[in-house]
Parts: sequence; C-alpha cells; structure tokens
Amino acid sequence: MMTFQLSNTVIFILAWRNLWRNHRRTLIMLSAITVGVWAMIFMTALMRGMVDDMLLNGIRNLPGEVQIHHLQFLDDPGINNSITAPDAKLLKALQSPEVKAWTTRVRVPAVISSERDSRGITLLGVEPGREVQLGFDISSIIEGRFLTGNNDSGLVIGAKLAERLETRLGKRVVVMSQDPDNNIADRGFRVVGIYKAKMDSLEELNIYAGLTTVQKLLKLEDKVSEIAITGKDYRHVENWFSTIKLVAGQTVQTLPWYEIDKYLGSMLAMMDGFVLVWIIVIFLALSFGLVNTLVMAVFERTREIGLMQALGMRPNMILYQILVESFFLLSIGLLIGNALAIGTILPLQDGIDISVVAKGMEMMGSSSILYPALKLNDVLLANIIVITLGLLTSFLPAWHAASFDPVEALGKD
Amino acid sequence: MNITLRMAWRNLWRHKRRTWLTVGAMIFSNLLLVFMISLQFGSYRMMIDNTLKSYTGHMQVQLEGYNDDSKIRNSFDNIIPLAEQLRQTLNTSRVAARGVAFAMTSSEMRSYGLQIVGVEPGYEPEVSTLSGLLKKGQFFSGNNAEEIIIGSILARNLRVDIGAELTLLGSGRDGSFAAGVVLVTGIFESGSNDVDRSMAQIPLGYFQSLFSMGNQGHNIVINAEDLSLVDVLQSKVSHVIASRKELVLLDWNQLQPGLQQAIQADMFSAWFMYAILIVLVAFSVLNTQLMSVLERTREFGIMMALGVKPVRLGALVITETTLMSTLGLAIGAGLGALLAYYLSLVGFSYPGMEEMAGKFNLPDRMYPSLSLLSVFLGPCIVFICSLLASVYPALRLFFLHPVSAMRTV
Amino acid sequence: MTSIVCKDLCKTFQQGDEVITGLDNVSITIEKGDFVCLSGPSGSGKTTLLNAMGGLDTPDSGEITIGRVRIDKLGKAALADIRLHNIGFVFQAYNLIPVLTARENVEFVMQVSGLDAEERSKRSYKILREVGLEGMENRRPAHLSGGQQQRVAVARAIVSQPTLVLADEPTANLDSVTSSQLMDLFVELNQHHNITFIIATHDLRVMKYAKRLIKMEDGKIISDEKQ
Repeated sequence: MMTFQLSNTVIFILAWRNLWRNHRRTLIMLSAITVGVWAMIFMTALMRGMVDDMLLNGIRNLPGEVQIHHLQFLDDPGINNSITAPDAKLLKALQSPEVKAWTTRVRVPAVISSERDSRGITLLGVEPGREVQLGFDISSIIEGRFLTGNNDSGLVIGAKLAERLETRLGKRVVVMSQDPDNNIADRGFRVVGIYKAKMDSLEELNIYAGLTTVQKLLKLEDKVSEIAITGKDYRHVENWFSTIKLVAGQTVQTLPWYEIDKYLGSMLAMMDGFVLVWIIVIFLALSFGLVNTLVMAVFERTREIGLMQALGMRPNMILYQILVESFFLLSIGLLIGNALAIGTILPLQDGIDISVVAKGMEMMGSSSILYPALKLNDVLLANIIVITLGLLTSFLPAWHAASFDPVEALGKD
Repeated sequence: MNITLRMAWRNLWRHKRRTWLTVGAMIFSNLLLVFMISLQFGSYRMMIDNTLKSYTGHMQVQLEGYNDDSKIRNSFDNIIPLAEQLRQTLNTSRVAARGVAFAMTSSEMRSYGLQIVGVEPGYEPEVSTLSGLLKKGQFFSGNNAEEIIIGSILARNLRVDIGAELTLLGSGRDGSFAAGVVLVTGIFESGSNDVDRSMAQIPLGYFQSLFSMGNQGHNIVINAEDLSLVDVLQSKVSHVIASRKELVLLDWNQLQPGLQQAIQADMFSAWFMYAILIVLVAFSVLNTQLMSVLERTREFGIMMALGVKPVRLGALVITETTLMSTLGLAIGAGLGALLAYYLSLVGFSYPGMEEMAGKFNLPDRMYPSLSLLSVFLGPCIVFICSLLASVYPALRLFFLHPVSAMRTV
Repeated sequence: MTSIVCKDLCKTFQQGDEVITGLDNVSITIEKGDFVCLSGPSGSGKTTLLNAMGGLDTPDSGEITIGRVRIDKLGKAALADIRLHNIGFVFQAYNLIPVLTARENVEFVMQVSGLDAEERSKRSYKILREVGLEGMENRRPAHLSGGQQQRVAVARAIVSQPTLVLADEPTANLDSVTSSQLMDLFVELNQHHNITFIIATHDLRVMKYAKRLIKMEDGKIISDEKQ
C-alpha cells in the first residue's frame, strides 16, 4: 500500500507534465471537450426548461396534480358524469401534510353568447379561494376582479374570448349548457373580470363562475365534476397519490396528471431519454478525438515508455500513467465546460424570448419565453458519463502502451 | 495519379490508427446526420401534410379579416359560383366551399356546443381526408339534405348512432334564432381525439338556409396536388379573385402559423445539435492535421531545401484532408443512407413517441424520408468544415524556415 | 561468488523474410564485482545478450540465473521487479525521461520502488554530487550536454544499489574526453561499490578499461580473456 502511494506521486507528475508537452494538441482536445460538455449541459438545460414550462402550463391548464372524476368523465366530460363532493373520509385524507391545496369544480362544455357572436367554451364552476391556493394566478386578471365566493354571480373570461365576442367588462353575456335531464339551462352573467393566459387557446376556452351559482344553474345540487388536489412538487406525486386513491375508492377515477394528459406524462420520460442520448452522442463524437490524442501521445513516447519499462516500471503502472493523463485532460475539460455552461445559463435565467415561434411553441404546449432549467442531476450525469466512459475508452491506448515490448520500444527512433 | 495525390494518400497510411480514428469521427457524425436529417424531412412533411389534409387545406379564400376574427358575420357572397369558377380556371376538382358556425347540438341524452361546418358534398372529399375516414354510414345524399356527419367520440358522447336525430340550436348570420333537426348519416374516425370529439359537418346548402346565410359562406379551400405546387396555384387563384376586393387568399402558413413555427423551433434546436457535432469533428481534424504537420517538420524542411514551394506543401496537407474527408463522406453517407433506407421501410418508434405523434398529426411509427439532399446535406457540411479545419495547419508551412526545420528531430 | 550464469542461450529474430541469429548457444558466467566489456561488430549479438541478462528480453531457449533467481521464464511484471531492484541500465542515447529534471530522473527508480521522499532526496543529491553534477539537479535533460545526460543516467543506474549495471554503447554519442571521464566514473563505482559492470561497446578506448573482454561474432562468443 505504502509502495503504491509513493509511486503515485511520480505517476501524477509524469502524467501532468506529459500532458503539456504537446500543448497545442492538448489545447485543441481541451477545447473539444469543453465545447462538448458545454453543449451537453446547455442544451439539456434549454430542453428541460422547455419541458418544465410545458408541464407547468399543462398542469396549470387543468390545475390539480391529482384529480378525482367520475369513471367516464375523461372520455365524456359532460354534466351526467358528476361525482359527489368529498365525504368525511376523503376530507380527512386531504388534511395530509403532503397535500398543499385542493378544490372542487364543475367543468362542463357550454356555449357563450354576446349580442354579437357565440362560442363553444368550457364553463368552470369554482371555489374562488381554493382555486387561488391551487394555482390560479390572481395577477393574470387584467381588468375587473376574480370571483369572490361560491355564490358570486359574476363571470370571469379570457381577454381573447372577450375580443372574439366583442364584449367587455360589465357587459352581460349568456351561457348555455344542459342540466342532467338534458334540458337546456341558460343564464345571463355579468362579466366581472378578464384574465390573460400564457396561451391564447386557454384564454378562449375557460370561463370561470362561482361553484354554487353553476350548480344551481345546472340543477347539480352539491355534485361536482372533479376534485383537484395539488402537492408540493409535481414530479413526486406518487408519494401521496396512492393514499388519496385508496380513500376515494373504486367508484371514482383517481388519476395523477401524467395519466390525465398522456402527452405531458410522456414528455417527462422522453426528456430523460433525450438527455441521456444527447450526452452519449456528444461523448462518442468526443471519444474519437480523445483516443486519437492518447494514441499519438503514446506513439511519440514509445522510446520513453520502453525506457521506463527497462528501469523496472511494471506494465500496469504504464497503463495507470496513461489513464491518469487522460483523467487530467478530461477533468480540466469538464471543469471549463461546466463553468462555461453555468456562465452562459445563469445570465439567461430571466428567460429567452422566442416569441418569433410563439405559435409553434404553443402547438407543443410551451410558452414563448424559454427559461433554461439547470438541474444538478443532469450536470452530474454529464460529468459522470464523460469521466467514466472517457477513462474506459482511454483504456485502449493505455493498454496498448503497457503491452509494448521494451526492447522493441527502445529500438524506435 | 499525380504526385501530390499519391504522396498524400501514402502519408495518410503512415499513421493508420490516427487516420482511421479521424475518419471514424467523420463516419459517426455523418451517419447520425443522415439519419437525423432524413427523419426530420420525413416527419416535417408528414406533419404538414397530415395537418393540412385533415381540414385546413393548402390555401383558403376568405373575407379579409375572417382569419383573425372568424365570426359568422364575416362571410362573403356567391361562394358556390366562385368555387365553381375556381375549379374551372384551375382545371381541378380540389376546390370546395365551406361555411362555419357554432351551435348547441343535442341528442335525446346530451348537448354539446360544437363548431358546425357546412361543406359541398360533391367536392369536400377532394380537399379533406375526413370524409374518407367514415367508419359507419355514408356521406351526404345532397347539398340541401338535412343530414350530419360527426366524429366517433362525439357520437359516443351524444349516445347516438347512424339514423339518430340531432337538434341544432344557434344563431344565424343576422342574429336570428337558428334551429334545425338533422339525421346522423355518417360517423368518422380520424385517429385524432380532438377532431373526433368536436367536428360535425352538414351540407352547405342546408347550412346556408339553417344559419340564414343566403348565398354566402366563409371560405373556399383549395388544395394543390403537392406542397411544392402551392406557389404556382396561389398566383392563379389571386388572379381569379382579383376583381373581388373584399376577399383575400391565405396560404397554409398564414392559416396555421403554429405549424411552420413548430418546425422552425425544432429545426433550430436540431441544427444547434448538428453544429456541435460538426465542430467536434472539425476539432478532431484540426488536431490530426496539426500533429501530422508538426511531426513532419524535418521532412518538410528537406523538401523546401530541395526547392519545393510552401504552396505545394500546403496543397499536400489540404489534399490529405480532402482524401480523409472523402473517405468519411463516402462511408458515413453510405451507411447513413442504408440505415435511413432500412428504417424508411420498416419505420421505428421510441417510448413516448405515440403521445408526441398524436399531438402533431403523425403516425405512431416514424419513417425517414430519403433524398439526395437529406443524405448529402450533413456529410457535405462536415466535409467543408474538415477542409476549413486543415487551413491552419497548412498555413503554418508558410512560416517554416528550411534550415531550422531540418534541425528539428 | 557467482553473479550471473547463462547457459545455452539461443535467440533468433525475423527481419522481413530473413531469420537472423541473435544468440547461438551462448554460455557464460560472470562473477560479482567484475568489469566486463562485450565487443564485436554490430549484429554480433552483444546487445541481445545484454538485454537477455538484464531481463529486458527473453531467450528462445536456455537458462539465465541472476543470484539464485531463474529469470528466463518470468512474466513481464516479475521481470520489471527484478530490473527495478537488481539491475541498472545505461543506454546509448535518450536515456532520460524528458519531462523530469535530473534529480527526478535519478529519483524515478526509487520512487517506483517506494522509497520515502527524504531518503530519496538525500541519496539523489549525494549520487549526483558523486558523478559531478552538483548544482544541475533541477535541470531538465534538454538543458544538459550529452556527457552530463549520460552521467545522470549512470547516477540513476547505481542509486538503488543494484548488483549489476548494464551499459549499451554508453560512449557512442560522446567525444573522447567525455568518454574517458565516463569510463573513469564506471571504474571508480566498480571499485568503491563493488557493482558488476557489463558494457557492450565497439569503442577500443572503452575496452582498455575492461578486466574481462569478451568478443562476439554471429551470436557466438569467439574469445573470452581476462586482462
């Protein structure tokens, strides 16, 4: 052991000095590693940012990381597929510290008409206080106010919808839907608030009214369309999801967000896959240069390696020496690459404006400002892959050097 | 074979391992580029085609302002004769007029607020694939038939089947009350849940009377035989509608700006990735060629002493790179084309793609589209960048002094 | 006391289509403390014999024993250990590791064999003084003359107190003054430290120093005389 430690020093000195013998080659290779590592982390942060945004938008679109519905509701989101409000048992489960907020809603398709035009929309009967806790952004109300209580008789609509209907704050509109007996239920509402959403399509789709008001209009009594529950982190719903599901029972459907919207759910998994593939592809592109650099280094030093062998350095020490050299090269590259990546991502934390392709991003479910998301796990993954696979690929030239025949190696010019 | 070429070729194989590693980096990148670019071309095309063919069409004639504000009032006169005129002028049947309105659609059990599209029974199948996707029943019996076709999910939600009656309630163009009873004659299944949940079509003649439209309608859809022919068609159509100042012609890009932008966003991120790959290859080439020049300093010194001009030596280095890059191009593009060709036959998919594909009107499996451009675009850029990377090593030769060069070991 | 015993050593090389005989049934015994010169034209087999005795190369057949250890059948790592602890080498040129200073080159062997830093540094300074390189300890090989480089190589060869030093044409790149200084150093070390020297050379001035002169030709020993 003692022997090993002492001879380490000389190996490190040799590896380090050898690295800088051909400084041009080392600098070129370092640049390549730096660019590669930067690209790995930078690109990953951008893509993560985009997917995060998509997920958040998606979850905001149907707030509630876990939702309880009638078994048929998702397939047929109509008035008939309603459920009863939470019972005592479920209420108790919702007290869990894992649950950040919850609410009930009525969600039905409806037609809204002004004196100028009509539109198909989704009417939401909400509990305003709880809805805000759940994530409705009160600052998105650009005119008027949000609903004040379950009995509020006003209506909050999106800015885009108001424009389409040629209506405005304080005007009356008619909302028409059906009651459970398939009778047309309609009622006039006064527009009390206008909100702005990140995506135009949402502004045109959702209108908000008081829960009790809507229940009365639709003769729903105290039934609701959904119970929406939010935890502390949308990525870790599993922790508390199963408890809620168990308490809610078999007669209703309890689903996490990633199953309600399969597209969103698949994005998260696909992103993980993308990050891994991207890092490995870049690494492979780098690996050719890395092996090449080491092959050249070994080739130029054939004589020297022969000499070291003649002086009694064991072959595995030669191998070790080349690996240490490669380790130094990779580590410096990683260091600069990481620093560069962080240095370019941090100034972009306030978001990158990509509104030139806003409509396209909306199609994908993302908004027009991209916030790069630097994740420790991704950075670690990139570093671990580069170091591990890097040393593994260096093994080839290192092993080649260790298997030199000393007599032949010494005989080389 | 000229002497520079012969020398260059032999020089390459003095360091077999190094040459193959450099060529290997090119092959790897080229293979990847060919595959990715073919895949992009394939999926973009499919994304555009599928999205446009299902409903929007390649271009539409509308009342100016309708696209931004699609109100029922923003319609225009004599839509059917104009459509007929377009068919004759363009000598194609891929032209169809439509009307669009909202109505509360009720079965005995359920009601939904829907977009109702009035279509020309004789021509709608020429511009949209929906009618071809009828799972049950048939298309309309006539232009004034009180009939409706709906999506399969909508049918299920309304709890109706062929032969059932639906009540339509809405407001007409003039604000009057519009009400009618229609017979479900067909149910289609497009594969897109959104379309199958929300689309309903009725004959245009009946649409016009139901919504008090008179002879008016909202748009005329025109399809080209192929996306590449859109431009030609566009100028002809513009000519026809030139006399009607209130009308505009919008192409698919104006009708569906999201489509092109989604493609642009994807292109941008894809090219960022390609650029990184290409830069890494260039570094590889730079390294190899610089080393190969440095280790031959003595040799070059002797050649210069013999009277060879630096330009010749520079040409030698560039020729070496060209040979190496050609190898990388040929093998990389070849293997890439093989891979892309194989996948264009059997297709491929990855986990999560199905959900993604559904969002962009793509099938569950991806099929790369192989063309000269998709095969050679990437590899040619790699080729050029490799040559550029060897300029610096070649230039170094101009600063070489024969005497000191010969003294170098 | 017997130092090295070689018995019936044979070795051939393949060069192109030709088979070249390196050693042809060579048997030789070298006593501890001897000062031997191997001479002969190039290709006579002297380097091959030297490499075989140093455990750098293995013979096709025959036995080599250093002290009590048979080395002809040992593996690479074991041979490396024998070289590390028992044998010092001095080659014709490129003797030093270019990235290490004179002192570090001398310490290299001790470092690989795991001596602690204090001991290493003490010994390397002492030995460099002994070979006349005081004050040049921290120069890299590129800043030393040919003779100085060879002195560093000698210092390195003897610093770990080997029983045997093998030198292959150590004076080939040196002028006559430097050559005789180097040979004087060899003789002195031979006498003071009782280290066995085997020197392969075709330099007549070197042969003058030999206690025993062995001449080789075509892989055979053709004469072996004490002087």
